[in-house]
Amino acid sequence: MTLRKPVLAIAAIASLTLAACSSNNTSTEGEGTQAQTLTLGIIGEPRSWDPAQAHVGHVLQPYQVTYDSLLLREPDGSLSPMLATEWEYNQENTVLTVDLRTDVTFSDGEKFDAAAAKANLDHFKQANGPQMNQLRAVEAVEAVDADTITITLTAADPSLEFYLSQAAGLMGSPNALGSEGISTVPVGSGPYVMDEASSVAGSQLVFTAREDYWNKDLQKFSSVTLKTLTDITARTNAVVSGQVDAAILDPKAGQQAEAAGLELVSNQVDWTGLLLMDRGGEVIAPLADVRVRQAINYAFDRETILEQVRLGRGTVTSQPFGPDSGAWVEELEDTYTYDPEKAKELLAEAGHSSGLTIDIPALAAEEPTLQAILKQQLADVGITLNIGAPITSTFTADVAAKKFPIIQYNLFQGEPWVAINQLISTQALYNPFKTTTPELQAMIDEVQTAGTEAGAKAQEVNRYVVENAWFAPLFRIDQMYYHNAKITVEPQVQQAVPSIYNYAPAN
Amino acid sequence: MMSFILKRLANGLAVLFAVSALTFFLLYFSSGSIARNIVGDQASPEQVAAKEVELGLDQPIVIRYFSWLGSALTGDLGNSWFSSQPVTQALSTRVPVTMAMVFTAMILIALLAALVGVIAAVRRGWVDRIVQIAAVVGDAIPGFVIGILLVTFFAIQLGLFPATSTISPGANANAWLISLTLPVIALVLNGVTGGAQQIRSAVIKQLERDYVRTLRSRGIGEKEILFRHVLRSAAPAGLTVLSLQLIGMLGGVVIIESIFALPGLGPLAVLSTAQGDLPVVMGVVIYTVAVVIVVNLIVDLLNGWLNPKVRVS
Repeated sequence: MTLRKPVLAIAAIASLTLAACSSNNTSTEGEGTQAQTLTLGIIGEPRSWDPAQAHVGHVLQPYQVTYDSLLLREPDGSLSPMLATEWEYNQENTVLTVDLRTDVTFSDGEKFDAAAAKANLDHFKQANGPQMNQLRAVEAVEAVDADTITITLTAADPSLEFYLSQAAGLMGSPNALGSEGISTVPVGSGPYVMDEASSVAGSQLVFTAREDYWNKDLQKFSSVTLKTLTDITARTNAVVSGQVDAAILDPKAGQQAEAAGLELVSNQVDWTGLLLMDRGGEVIAPLADVRVRQAINYAFDRETILEQVRLGRGTVTSQPFGPDSGAWVEELEDTYTYDPEKAKELLAEAGHSSGLTIDIPALAAEEPTLQAILKQQLADVGITLNIGAPITSTFTADVAAKKFPIIQYNLFQGEPWVAINQLISTQALYNPFKTTTPELQAMIDEVQTAGTEAGAKAQEVNRYVVENAWFAPLFRIDQMYYHNAKITVEPQVQQAVPSIYNYAPAN
Repeated sequence: MMSFILKRLANGLAVLFAVSALTFFLLYFSSGSIARNIVGDQASPEQVAAKEVELGLDQPIVIRYFSWLGSALTGDLGNSWFSSQPVTQALSTRVPVTMAMVFTAMILIALLAALVGVIAAVRRGWVDRIVQIAAVVGDAIPGFVIGILLVTFFAIQLGLFPATSTISPGANANAWLISLTLPVIALVLNGVTGGAQQIRSAVIKQLERDYVRTLRSRGIGEKEILFRHVLRSAAPAGLTVLSLQLIGMLGGVVIIESIFALPGLGPLAVLSTAQGDLPVVMGVVIYTVAVVIVVNLIVDLLNGWLNPKVRVS
C-alpha cells in the first residue's frame, strides 16, 4: 500500500521543524539585550506623543525617555532642578518664578528658552489632555527674560511644583506643539530620540541616545526599547526568558519570576477597597448613617482578604492616604479591625437589626475574587450586597453620572492635595454625590493654603474621612516590578513603574 | 462562471455594507462616554464636551455613519481616536502578521487533516480509534492552553524559541519564522484533529457508496478509486469544514496573539473594542469580513472545480 509515504512525510516535516528550531537558537541568544541597551515591557503606549497628552504613573515613563521636564522628581519624591535651575514662590504662594537652563536644544534643533517654556505651559492648558487639571490653578505664564518665566496662579496650589515634574512639566519643541506630526513622533529635548523606522505603534518603540544631550548622568543606555506587552502571560514569559529586562507583574506571576531568579522592586502606590460614595444617602438611604458605614468597615477581615487575593503582598489599612504622602497617620492604620460582632451591634443601633440589603448596579471589575469575598463577609454581618453585571468601557462616565453608590476600586495614593481632589473635595470625580460638611471644607481650605505644611494639614482631612467612614479601605497593594541582573532599578515613590532615570546598567 | 463570480462579489459587498452599518450602530450606543474615556477621569465636563465636538460625537448617528462610509469608500478609514494613528497604517503593519500565521496554520491543518483523515478512513482499526480520541481531546483543549504549554516548555525551559514575538519592521525572515513557529503549532494542534475527524467521516461515507463497489467489481485498483473518485467526492465536505475553521481561527487568534505578543490584528481588535475606538474597530471588522467573503468565494470555486455536481449553472 501507499500509506507508508504519509508517515514518512510527517516525519520529514517534524525533523524540518526541529532543524529550524535548533538553527535559530543561537541567533536569538545573540539578539538579547547587551549591557548598553535597555528593553522594558510596558502595559500600554502613550496615545499621543504631544506632551500635553501625557498621563501619570506608568503612562508617564515613555514620555521621560524622550522629553525633559522642568523639575526632576527624585526616587524619594523630592524635587531637583532639571530644565529649571531654580524656582521660588512669592509670599502668598501665588506667583512662582522659574529660572531656566540656557544650554538645551530640542531634537529638531529649536532652542529651549523662556518663550518655549511659556508656549508649552500655554499649550498644556488648552490642549484638552488627560492631565489638563494639573494647571487648573494657573492664570498666566509670562516670559520675564530669555531664561526666566513667572507662573501666576488664581489661588495657591500646593501641588504645582510636583506637577512641573510630571505631565505639565514636559517640554516639547514649540515648533512641533499642536502639529499633526507630534502625535505620532515625539519632539523633545530628552535623553533619547525615537527611531521611527524600528518602531511599530502598539508593538515596540525604539529610542536611541541623543548626541550632545545636556545631562549625560540621565543618559545611561545607548538605546531604549519599550515593548508593549498587555497580556500578563506574555509579560511574564518575556521577562522570565530575558527578552525584556524589566516588567510589572502581579503576585501570582511574580512567583514564576522569583523562581527564575529575577529581582523584585516593590513599593506601594495604590490602595484598594470600597468607596462608599453615596454617603449622603441619596440612592441608598441607610448609607447616610455613619454607623452603617462603620459597620461595613468592621465587617471585613482584611488580613484574610489580602492573603486570598494577593498572596499577602500588601499592607492592611483603614485610611486612604499612603505612608509617603505626609497625610498618613499611624494610629489610623487599624481604626477598623475585623469585628463582626461590633458590626452587627452598629447595624442594630442604626435600626437594621434584621439585616440590610444594598443594591448596586455593579462593582468595578477589578478583582472578581475580591468581590466574592467582600460579598460573603458583608453577608456574615447581615448586609446583603446585590451586585449587577460588571461595566468597563463606560466606567468613568458612569461614576461621574452617579450610577454607582458604592464602588470597589484601586486608587492612587499620591500627594495629599492630588488625593483630596481625586477623592474628597466636591470637585473630585470619586465624590460624585459631592458630599461635604462645613467642618471638612474648612480643613480642605487649610491644606490648599498651607504651602509646605500641606501634608500635616491633610492629616486632619484623613482623620475626618476615616472616622466618618467615607471609605472602607482594605489594603495597600505591593507593586510587583521585576528586573533581571543586567540592570539595576531604583523604586520611585508613588509610581508602580519607576521613572526612566532610575535604571542603570548593572556593571 | 464570470457572472457567478460577479454575483457573489456583489453579494459580498452587500454583506460588507450591512455589517459595517450594524457595527457602527452597535458601537454608537456605547460611544456616549468615549470622550470621557479619552480625556480621562480628572477632566471637567467642559473638556469632555470639547472632545465630543472634536470627534464629531455631537452629530446625529446617521450623518456620522455616512461621513465615515464616504471616507471609507475613498480608502480613508480615519485615525484612531486614542492613538491618532491612521487606521490604514495600523492595519498595514498588523495584517501581514495575522495572515501569515493564519494561512500557514491553515495550509498545515489542511494537509495534515487530509492525511490523517484519509488514513483513518481507509485503515480503520486502531489508527481510526486514535484519530477519534485525538479529535475529542484536540477540540477539548483550547488553543491558548496549548500555546502556554508550548511557551513554557520550548521557550522558557529549553530556550529554543523567543517567548514573545521578535517581529519588528526591520526583522528578517528568521525573526518571522521563529516568532510564528509556536503560535502556528498551537493553532495546528488545536485545529487538525477536528478537521481530520470530518474528513474521515466524509471519506468513509464515500467508500460505502455503490459506485465504489461498482468500480471495485470492475477491477480498478484501490489507489485509483481513492485518489480519482473518492477523494474528489469527499473534498467539498472537507473544504467546507476547513473554510469554517479558517473563519473561526480569525477570531481564535486573538488570544494566541496576546499570549505571544504578536503585533497582529488580535491585540488591536481587543484594545480598540474595549476602549470603544470606533474608527479602529470599524477597520478591523471591515477587513475581517472582506477576508471571510473572499475565502468563501474561493471555497465555492474550488468546490465547483472539484465536483461538477455542485457547480452553479
